Amino acid sequence: MTEESDILRIVEEDILRILGEEKSKRVSLESIKSEIKVAYLFISNAIKELEREGLVQSQGDFIVLTKEGEGKAENIVKRHLVLENYFKFKIKRTRSEREAHKMTDILEHYISKEVIEHIKKLSTFKTEGIPLTKLELNKEGIITDILFPDYGLFERIVSMGIVPSEKIKVMYKIPDGMVIYVGGKKFALGNEIAKGIEVLG
Amino acid sequence: MKLRIILVGQPNVGKSCLLNALVGPEVIVSNYPGTTVEVTTAKKMVEGEEIAFLDSPGIYSISDRSEEEKVTEKALFEEGIDGAIIIADSVSLERSLYLASQVLEAGIPVVIALNFVESAEKKGIIIAHKKLSKILGAPVIPINPLKKRGIGELVNALLEIEETKGKTFTVRYDDHIEDAIRAVSSQVTRTQLPKRFVALRVLEEDADFYGYLSDKRIIEAVKEGLIEHPKVAEDIAITRYGTAAFIAGKVTHLVRVEEAARSLDERLDGALLHSLGGPILTILTFAAIFGALLFIGSGIQGILTGFTEYLLSLIHLGGGFGGTALEAGLAGMMAGISIALPYVFIFYILFTLVEDAGLLSRYVVNLERFLRWFNLPGRAIIPLALGLGCTVPATRSTRILFTKKEKFFTAALLSCVPCSSRIAIIMGVVGYFGGKWLALSVFITLFVSFLVWGCIMKRITRIEKKPVLYELPELPPYRIPSIGNIVTKSWIRMKTFVYLVVPLLFLGGVAYAGLDALGLTNVIVAPLSPITWWLDLPNVAIIPLVFGFLQKDLTGSMLLLVLGGKVSSVLTPLQIYTFGVAATIGIPCIIALGMYIKEFGFNKAVLLTAASILYGLLFAGLAWRLISLF
Repeated sequence: MTEESDILRIVEEDILRILGEEKSKRVSLESIKSEIKVAYLFISNAIKELEREGLVQSQGDFIVLTKEGEGKAENIVKRHLVLENYFKFKIKRTRSEREAHKMTDILEHYISKEVIEHIKKLSTFKTEGIPLTKLELNKEGIITDILFPDYGLFERIVSMGIVPSEKIKVMYKIPDGMVIYVGGKKFALGNEIAKGIEVLG
Repeated sequence: MKLRIILVGQPNVGKSCLLNALVGPEVIVSNYPGTTVEVTTAKKMVEGEEIAFLDSPGIYSISDRSEEEKVTEKALFEEGIDGAIIIADSVSLERSLYLASQVLEAGIPVVIALNFVESAEKKGIIIAHKKLSKILGAPVIPINPLKKRGIGELVNALLEIEETKGKTFTVRYDDHIEDAIRAVSSQVTRTQLPKRFVALRVLEEDADFYGYLSDKRIIEAVKEGLIEHPKVAEDIAITRYGTAAFIAGKVTHLVRVEEAARSLDERLDGALLHSLGGPILTILTFAAIFGALLFIGSGIQGILTGFTEYLLSLIHLGGGFGGTALEAGLAGMMAGISIALPYVFIFYILFTLVEDAGLLSRYVVNLERFLRWFNLPGRAIIPLALGLGCTVPATRSTRILFTKKEKFFTAALLSCVPCSSRIAIIMGVVGYFGGKWLALSVFITLFVSFLVWGCIMKRITRIEKKPVLYELPELPPYRIPSIGNIVTKSWIRMKTFVYLVVPLLFLGGVAYAGLDALGLTNVIVAPLSPITWWLDLPNVAIIPLVFGFLQKDLTGSMLLLVLGGKVSSVLTPLQIYTFGVAATIGIPCIIALGMYIKEFGFNKAVLLTAASILYGLLFAGLAWRLISLF
């Protein structure tokens, strides 16, 4: 089922994630190879592609995230975190903790067709996310990121089910705001808040 | 043995409704958020054990950012709770599980009451509650509080709630975060709370919990080490939600269903939330309510008045002071009932109907934006809407606002929002004796006075302008209101009228007869005659205004008493109008004053009350002078 282009895309994502998890945003080619167990050809192709897009740079034997790449990588790391926890819990009963980690890396990309679709849409390095205020009316979008300076507001929004990877729809525009539909419920939302919710249309 | 159990859940999840089913109709059940801003307690005896239930405000999370969250968090940790009932919404289980996992993190034993099972099934969502119970390690009981289903099982589960302790589910964060939690936990002292919970709250940047650490430097040290999670607080929230969504997904089975019912909801929302149509429909609804009040209310008032006259003509208690006083008491009581009761009752029924149908939250969204004129946040509309019922709980609900200035401003605005008793004066006195157009003009005058008062208060409070946020109010699905619920709710709201106001009406009548017999009426009337002069009213008209401050519903009955029941022949229509305006602007009564003192302190409350009443009198005098120019 998996096509070559899909593998390439997954490897690209993994590289960005590995770089994103590293504080220095700098990882040796060697450790990438040891962490992503695919044919080297895929890795080198993926790096070329990422370089072409201006997301990473090669520095000798090291790969470095560019400023532009950092934002994308952060997104992927966040999503990885969610998924890792999904699977860690799911697998805990049957497998060891260490294996759960490994499984997450693999399953992240392969759980179900729907989730793959989801992830495809989520991989933000192909398409830019837009603020919710720019999402077309009645069109389903997928939340990719929530950007608030204030954790209080962030936590409130997350606890209401407005989280990355959830589907969201703008049902009505009201003055200075909108009515959204997310997770089976409707909420009225001011544009000031909506601006901080990034979606893919 | 005594058990203290707190009910926790999202707004609109049916907490108060469940409490009703558990202990009887003691609490008000609402279909719009912001009704409960305090913890209320109700008790029940089961098998020789007393269970005290604490109802808390609706929240999505227990991190203390809003007043509702603060109130609930305080109740969770400071009230000696034995356990919590988490009321979960089957339609959006993951949100409820987010909250549940936070409560479990706090080491509080829980029982999950799964509500709205039927409406979820209609949407094709089927929840395997036994599986959920197994995962969480806590009892999960499907309930339907309206039909009293599952209530017995729920109570039984509560009796054994202690046994779940230590066996329940906890969210696992990723290894780096878990290491950080362990590191912070090792520094937690001086608290009964679970160390893991305190550590999490510290990592979530809740400064209230920093005090439990023996060495605060651990926070910085741990964060420095968390290179994988530069924003650890956000990652904790996301993981918690992710886990909740994962569990919800695991126990939820989706079936395809026809979505016929939703389209009606959508059409209604399309109209009600339209940027122009919405406000128009909102205003039309209020107009319809007032129309219904006027026509149905005055019909009932007519019948009651006729009945009163007949009854009083039968009673002759003989001469002497006692007889006169009793007769005056009865006359006052009957007049008060005929004037106020029909309007107050019909108003509450209609208000409850609008609220239960889910319409009120749409109106709130429509009206929010107008509050921007006063630089008030949108949620200020909730106390104002409640103010149409009674000023006292409305004042209390200003607690949902964020700053003292906003609370005070909103509470001040309530002086120009007619409560049901004041609406009854406008309808039962002005409308009944002066006609419907006169009543309408009083309403319009009141609205103008609201705007002017708002502008004055805006100057005084100087709140900075903020963007409209809409504060994420949930728009609940429309429901066909149950008649039982409406009657119960209206009755709870009416109860004070019957138990408190009716005796007061009687006492008011007796007191007036007493003053009259002792020749003391002049003591009140004479010094205040400048006011009646300014209002162009007969001097005695000050008595209903003064008595009205003791209890608003006395206003109408006292006016009838002092004028010998002949309002329309003694007063001109313009005087009736002026009386109506003067009696309805201002902090309405002594009970409201008490609430203002409780919320804002003695000095501010008295100052505001005096200022608002003076403003009302000033406004009424100016209004009739302006009208008589034409």
